[in-house]
Amino acid sequence: MTVRVIDVRERVMARNNEIAATVRQRIEDECVLALNLVSSPGAGKTTLLERTLDALGDEMAIAVVTGDVQTQNDADRIARHTPRLVQAVVTGGACHLDASQVDRALEAIDLAHTDLLFIENVGNLVCPAAWDLGERAKVVLFSVTEGEDKPLKYPRMFREAHYAVMTKIDLLPHLSFDLARAIRAMREVNPKLELFTTSAATGQGMEAWLGFLRREVASATAARLVLR
Amino acid sequence: MHEMSIALEVCRIAEARLAHDKLDRLVGVGVVVGDDAGIEPTNLQFCLDVLLAQPPFHAATAKIARCAGDALRVDYLEVDDDRPRDRRP
Repeated sequence: MTVRVIDVRERVMARNNEIAATVRQRIEDECVLALNLVSSPGAGKTTLLERTLDALGDEMAIAVVTGDVQTQNDADRIARHTPRLVQAVVTGGACHLDASQVDRALEAIDLAHTDLLFIENVGNLVCPAAWDLGERAKVVLFSVTEGEDKPLKYPRMFREAHYAVMTKIDLLPHLSFDLARAIRAMREVNPKLELFTTSAATGQGMEAWLGFLRREVASATAARLVLR
Repeated sequence: MHEMSIALEVCRIAEARLAHDKLDRLVGVGVVVGDDAGIEPTNLQFCLDVLLAQPPFHAATAKIARCAGDALRVDYLEVDDDRPRDRRP
C-alpha cells in the first residue's frame, strides 16, 4: 500500500457558513430583523416568545422557527399566541440548529410580509454558539435559577451574543442568586453585551425588551421602505 | 452530540474530496482542533472512529492535532494511492 497525503485545509464549518450567508442575504433583502434565541434548557425562551407575541403580535408580523431535540411542544405553545405558522424543527438528537434547517424552515415563511423572525434554538449553551444560522444577532437568555458564573463557564456563547436577557427575576427574593455578580461575569466575557432583565411572569423589565424590538423593527422597516 | 455533528461534516468533506479526486480508499484523516473551538477532542475522536469504521470508509483512522485559537478544519487526507493511480486516464 502506498499512502499519499492530500492537502485539504477545509474549515469544517465552511458549508454551514455558506448556507448561513445565503439565509442572511434572504433575510436582509427583506429587511427582516432575525434574532437567534439561545440558552440552556429551561431558561425561558419559549415563555419570553409567548409574552413577546402577546405584546407585539398586533403591531408587527412576527415569524417563529423553533428547534427542539424531540417533540413540537414549544412550537405548539407558541402557535397559541400567533395566527401565523410556527415552523418546528425537530433535530432528532442534534444539540443545535444548523443553517440548512433554518433555510428549509424559511421556505414556508413569507419573509416579504415579516418584520421580525425569532429562531428559538435548541436549549444548550455550548453547541449553538458554533453554528451560524444567518441571523442578525444571537440573544442569550440567562435565568436567575442558574449559577452566576454561567458566562464564565460558557464564554463562547456569551461572546457570540449581542444581547442578553436575564429571565425570571421575579424569583430573586427566593434565591441566593447574586444578580450583580452575574452581570459582572457577563461584562467580563463580553463588555459590549446589551442587557435586559425581565420577568415574563410579572412583566417586570419586559417594556425595555419590547421597546428594543420596536426600535429595531422600525429601523428595519424604514430600510425596507427606502429599498422599495 | 455536537462532536457527532462535526464528525459527520468531517466525513462529508472527506467523501467529497475522495469523489472529486476519484479516490476510494481513505487511510486517515487529519483534523485540527483549536483550544477555543468548543470541541472536546476525545469525544470527536470517538465519533470519527465510529463513522470511519463504516462504509464507504475502510476503517480509516482519525488523527486530531490541537492548536491555539478556534481553528476547526480538515487538514489532510491520507489515501491508499495504488488503486486511484490505476483508475486515472
